[in-house]
Amino acid sequence: MREEFRLLIGLQDIDVMIKEAKDKSTSKELQEMGFQLTGLEELQKARKKIADKIPPSLLNRYEKLADHFTVAILPVPGNMCLGCFVKLPTSFFSSAYSHELLTCENCGRLLYIP
Amino acid sequence: MESGKLASFFEEDLCLFSLRSRKKNSVLQEMVRHLNKTGRISDEQFIMEMLKNRESLGSTGLGMGVAFPHGRSLAIQKLTVLFGYSSSGIDFGALDGKPVNIFFLILAPSDKGAETYLALLSELIGVIQKPDKLNKLMKVRDFKSLTEILDGKE
Repeated sequence: MREEFRLLIGLQDIDVMIKEAKDKSTSKELQEMGFQLTGLEELQKARKKIADKIPPSLLNRYEKLADHFTVAILPVPGNMCLGCFVKLPTSFFSSAYSHELLTCENCGRLLYIP
Repeated sequence: MESGKLASFFEEDLCLFSLRSRKKNSVLQEMVRHLNKTGRISDEQFIMEMLKNRESLGSTGLGMGVAFPHGRSLAIQKLTVLFGYSSSGIDFGALDGKPVNIFFLILAPSDKGAETYLALLSELIGVIQKPDKLNKLMKVRDFKSLTEILDGKE
């Protein structure tokens, strides 16, 4: 897998965690269970470390999508986008594209073939 | 979550009754490596990074010798639980400062909502808050006994 895909996926995992920690209902639930969520700053630092390694144009594209969707980048294990469940065109799976980061024509999410 | 269904989230080959690691990161690595070997995750490194980041948010060692490392990632396809036991106990930075013997590692896909694992987490925490169940869990050494304790049959 290309390094920039790996960086985006790592970034997304942190973003999902940050969203949970900032979400009032989820963080309340976790705190009621006994978890302390005091290290948000540490998490932001880890995020920055990854984000700094991603080319700015790609990071910008990811961040715009991440504002709209919980998951902005997804693998394509079958023949459809798992974000919007729309079938992808056959041309999408051409081997020429298999190492590229692709875009779902319907929802715009970033897709990769694992 | 339906009562008596807690054990259905556990699988025999995902129960490690003799963890060998002695340190926080190495015990996480040992459990994640097992998930990888058994084909439950698609990428060990993503899961390790995610779990280490989760620990930096706050230790998932809630005290009483139990920790609940957890999180969501693209590298997991479905809600998965691994049970781990360490007889010597591991310094996991738990809230009460005591070593952790029991680990419930819970992973959920990031494209599903947090509710997919929060309910399970809550149920499991409810179990360890019962002193008699916690005492039994500290002695459990086989899958059948584990599931009986979780479902209240023991």
